[in-house]
Amino acid sequence: MTELASSPSADLAALLADWIPQQRWSGAKGREVGSVSVVASTPLPIEGLDVDHVVAEVEFTDGGPAAHFQVLAAYRTDVGGELEHATIGALGGRIVYDGLWDPAVTKWLYEAVRNGCTVGDLRFVPEPGVELAPGPPGRVLGVEQSNTSVVYGERSILKLFRRVAAGGNPDLELHRALRAAGGTEVATLQGAVEGVLHGEVAVLGMLQDYASNSAEGWAMALASVRDLLAEADLRADEVGGDFAAEANRLGQTIAVLHGDLARALGTAERDTAEVAAAMRARLTVAATDVPALAPHTAAIRAVYDEFAALPGPLPAQRVHGDLHLGQVLRTPLGWLVIDFEGEPATPLELRVRPDSPLRDVAGMLRSFDYAANHQLLDADATEPDPQRQWRAAEWAERNRSAFLDGYAVRSETDPRAQALVLRAYELDKAVYEVVYETRNRPTWAPIPLNAIVRILAPSTPRIDSVP
Amino acid sequence: MTATNPRPTGADTELDEASSDEFDHARTLAVDHDWFKRAVFYEVLVRAFADSNRDGTGDLRGLTDKLDYIQWLGVDCLWLPPFYDSPLRDGGYDIRDFRAVLPEFGTVEDLVVLLDEAHKRGIRVITDLVMNHCSDQHPWFEESRRNPDGPYGDFFVWSDDDTRYADARIIFVDTESSNWTYDPVRGQFYWHRFFAHQPDLNYDNPAVQEAMLDVLRFWLDLGIDGFRLDAVPYLYEREGTNCENLAETHAFLRRCRKVLDDEYPGRVMLAEANQWPSDVVEYFGDPAVGGDECHMAFHFPLMPRIFMAVRRENRFPISEILAQTPAIPSGAQWGIFLRNHDELTLEMVTDEERDYMYSEYAKDPRMKANIGIRRRLAPLLENDRNQLELFTALLLSLPGSPVLYYGDEIGMGDNIWLGDRDAVRSPMQWTPDRNAGFSTADPGRLYLPPIMDPLYGYQAVNVEAQLNSTTSLLHWNRHMIEIRKRHSAFGLGDYHELGGSNPSVLAYVRTHRGGSQDGTDDVVLCVNNMSRFPQPVELDLSAWQGCRPHELTGGVPFPRIGELPYLLTLPGHGFYWFSITPEEEPS
Repeated sequence: MTELASSPSADLAALLADWIPQQRWSGAKGREVGSVSVVASTPLPIEGLDVDHVVAEVEFTDGGPAAHFQVLAAYRTDVGGELEHATIGALGGRIVYDGLWDPAVTKWLYEAVRNGCTVGDLRFVPEPGVELAPGPPGRVLGVEQSNTSVVYGERSILKLFRRVAAGGNPDLELHRALRAAGGTEVATLQGAVEGVLHGEVAVLGMLQDYASNSAEGWAMALASVRDLLAEADLRADEVGGDFAAEANRLGQTIAVLHGDLARALGTAERDTAEVAAAMRARLTVAATDVPALAPHTAAIRAVYDEFAALPGPLPAQRVHGDLHLGQVLRTPLGWLVIDFEGEPATPLELRVRPDSPLRDVAGMLRSFDYAANHQLLDADATEPDPQRQWRAAEWAERNRSAFLDGYAVRSETDPRAQALVLRAYELDKAVYEVVYETRNRPTWAPIPLNAIVRILAPSTPRIDSVP
Repeated sequence: MTATNPRPTGADTELDEASSDEFDHARTLAVDHDWFKRAVFYEVLVRAFADSNRDGTGDLRGLTDKLDYIQWLGVDCLWLPPFYDSPLRDGGYDIRDFRAVLPEFGTVEDLVVLLDEAHKRGIRVITDLVMNHCSDQHPWFEESRRNPDGPYGDFFVWSDDDTRYADARIIFVDTESSNWTYDPVRGQFYWHRFFAHQPDLNYDNPAVQEAMLDVLRFWLDLGIDGFRLDAVPYLYEREGTNCENLAETHAFLRRCRKVLDDEYPGRVMLAEANQWPSDVVEYFGDPAVGGDECHMAFHFPLMPRIFMAVRRENRFPISEILAQTPAIPSGAQWGIFLRNHDELTLEMVTDEERDYMYSEYAKDPRMKANIGIRRRLAPLLENDRNQLELFTALLLSLPGSPVLYYGDEIGMGDNIWLGDRDAVRSPMQWTPDRNAGFSTADPGRLYLPPIMDPLYGYQAVNVEAQLNSTTSLLHWNRHMIEIRKRHSAFGLGDYHELGGSNPSVLAYVRTHRGGSQDGTDDVVLCVNNMSRFPQPVELDLSAWQGCRPHELTGGVPFPRIGELPYLLTLPGHGFYWFSITPEEEPS
C-alpha cells in the first residue's frame, strides 16, 4: 500500500468524514468524528473502471481509540439511477461512490479470490482444495452492523468487514479450523481477503458457502410465539407452531459445534475466580450506568461469589462468544451457526480467549427469553397482560428445556449438571443486555431486568426435561 | 360372457382362464409418452361414486354415467382401486380372479364401456393391480394347497416350518403376528407379507411371472391405460434380507416395463412403495435410459409434511423433504396427493413427528387407524376455506402429478364411527336428495350411509349446489386445474426453491425450458404463506430482472422485477401463482 499525502487523498478523506458516520456499519452513532485520513489506497485492476481499495482511519473527538474502515472508492463521470444511493460525493469532476454496489466490482472481487490474486498489499486467497466456479455478478445482500455481504448466485457469499482491525479475526480463524476439522455446523469457508494495517495482517473479508434457502432462528422463534399468543388458552406444548423440536435440534447442533471446536483448537482451563472477577467488573460498570440494576446487585454478586468459590478449574475452549437466535440459520438440512466474531463490544484479545462453552449455552437460553417476550412489548406500550406474560414464559421455559435436552444428547455433559456456572453466565449476559437496552432500546430493558429477577428468585423453577 | 372364476378342470391340468379375445376392446388414445407427467389424476372408488342398478353399491355403469362431470372438472386420468372379483376381506386388494370384475361392480363388458367412454372424452383410466399376492380363495391357491405336485403347486411360498426370512418385518402389526401361516390342507406354512388370507405369489417360479404378465396383457388389450402396482417391494424373498426392494424384484419390473413398451406404448406403471424417496427412486429404474421400471411412484412423505408445515407455520418441513428427494430419471414422474382412500399414512415420519401429527390432526382416538389418520381433507383442515385453497394450490404446483381424491373437490366430510378405513369411503354427494343422489335404493341398503352431519352432510355439501354457485369450492378447484393446464411448467418444469428470510413463506419457481407456445421458457412462480397471519416476503428474482410477473388466476400484471429484492405481501394462508414473462415493449 502506498502511503498517500497528496491532495486527492485529502479530498477523499474529507468526503469520507461526512459519509462514513452516516453508514450503519460505522457504529459511529453518538460519537463525534474528529479527523479522517486515508492510510492506504490500492488501485484495483478492473477493466474500464477506476476503483481504489481504501483504508480510512477515523478519529473521534471523545478521545477513544481510532477506527479503521475499508471502502471501495469507485469513480464514474456519471452514476446511473441504480448506483445513486451509493454516492459518496464529487471529486475532480467525477462522482465517487461505494463500489460494493457496482456489479463490475463485486464480480472482480469474487474472481480475485477464485484466481488467488495479489494486488499491492491485498491478498485474495482461496482455501486449499476449494474449486470455485466462475461466478455470476454479485448482489449486495444486507448491510449489517459491522460488515456488508455480497451473494454470488446461490453458492457463495462474500462478507466484507467494513471495520478493519489488525491482528487475528476470530470469525475467519474459527471457520478455517472448523473446515479443517470437517465440521458441518457452519457454512464452509471458500476463501479470504487479507490486507495490511499498521504493518500487521488484517482480515478484510471471507468467502463462504451461501445457505440460499435459509431463515434466521430468530424469525422462526417469533413465528412460533406468534402462533401461541394467537390462541386463547392452549398451552405451549399444544399449539401447532410448537418450536421445541427445532430447539432440541438446535441444542444438538451447538453441542456438536462445541465438540468440533474443542477437537480442532484444543481445550484449556480457566480459573473461576478470574472469570467471576470479570463478571463483577462488568456488573460494577453496569450498576453505575443503570440505576434499575441497583436493587439486584448484591444478590448477583452473591451468585458470582459462589461461582468463584467453586472447587477446581473451569473447563474452557474456543467458543462462539455471542450466540443467540439471530446467529443461527435454519436450512432445509438443519441448523447452521454464523458470525463467530464474538461480542462486538469486547476487545479482541478477550474475544479469542478460551471460555466455558456454557457462555454460548447461556447466550442461547437468554435468546429464547427474548423471543418469548419481544412480542409482548411490540403489541402495545402499556403494561403487558399477566396471562400473556405467563404464557410467553411457558414458551421460553419449554424451548430452553428442549434446547438443553438436545445439547445434553450430543455432549458429554448436561449443562444442567453445572447449574451454578450456567446461572452465573446467564446473569452476566443479562447484565450486559440491561446496559445495551438501556442505551439503545429502553423499552426493551424490562426483558433482561425481569430475567434477572427470575434467575435470582429462590423459587426459580428447575428446568426440567420436556416430557 | 359373464364374470366367473377360472374353471378348475382337474388336478393335473392348467386352469382355463378368460382371454381378452372374448371381449370387445375399447378405443385407444393416441400414443403420448409424457401424458402422465402433465395429468391431473382423480382417485374414485367404484363402490362409492354412483349406483346405476339400485342395489345400494356404486358400479361401473354408474361411474360411466358421471364421466361428463369428471371431464368438466378437468381430470385427465381416473385411478380406480381394484374392481376385480374378490371376497372383499381387504377392500378388493384380495383378488380372487385376476381376470374378472367384482359382480357388484358389473362385468368385464361394463369396464370396456367405461374405458371406451372415458377415452372418447380424452380421459385415461388406470387401476390397481396387486402383484405380490392374491386371495386365499383364488383357484391358484386352492390348487396349490390340494396338489403340491400339480401345475400350481409351486405358485406360492411354502415351507415346512415358520422360521425362514426372519428379518422381514410384519406390516400389519395390528392384526398379524407372523408372516407365516400354517395350512392344514397341504400341511405346510405359506408366506404372506400382509394378511394371512393373502398368500404371496412365488416369483421364483417362472410360471408365476408369465401368468402375471398375461394378466397385465389381458387388461391392456381391453384398453386400460396403466396400473398402479400395489405392494411392489415385496415380490421376492431372500434369506438374511428384510425381503424388500430386492434386485430380483427390480428385474421383474423391468420385464413388465418391456411388455408395456414393446406391446402397449404409452401405457404406464405406477409403483406403490411407501418408502423414503431416496429408496423409491430405485423403482424408476436406470436413469441412463430415462427409467426402465415404473413411470411413476407416489411421494409418500411429502404429504404429512405439507400438513406439518402449515401447522408449524414454517416452510422447513416441506423444504427439508424436497431437499432430500433425489433427482428422478427423465422419463419418470412423482405422484403426489393430500388424501387418498387409505389413512393419512404416517409411516414415513419420525416417531416424534407422528406424535405431533396425531395430536394436531387426530384429536379423537377413533381418527387413528394402523399407523395413520383416517380423515378427509376438509375435516382435517376444520373446513377452513383458506387452508383448503392453500393445500390444493400446493398439491397442484409442487413437483409431481397431483392425485385428487373423489369428494374432496366439494369438501366432503368423513364419518369416523365407521370401521377400519371406511370413514373416508362414504357415498359421493351429488344432490341434497335421498341417498345424496348416489343411489335410488332403499337407504338401508346402501353399502355405507352417506355423511349426514350438519356441516358436511349431503344436504349442505353436494355437487348440484356447488355447480350452481360460482364461488363454490368445486368451481374454485376446477378453475385452478384449468390454470394448471395452461402452463406446462407445472407438470414438466424444474423445481427450484427460492428461500427468503421469512420462514413462514414457501416460494418456488417451476421452469419448463422451451415450454411456452412461442418456444421460450415457461416460468411459473409460486409463493405460499404457511402462516395464518399476513406475511411479507422479499424474493431474489434477479434471474428475471426486467420481466414482469402476471398473476395467474386473474392475469393482473404485477410490478416489473428490478434490481432490488421483490417484495410481496400475502394474506394469512394466502398464495400466489405468477407467470414470469419478458416485458413487452410499450406500444
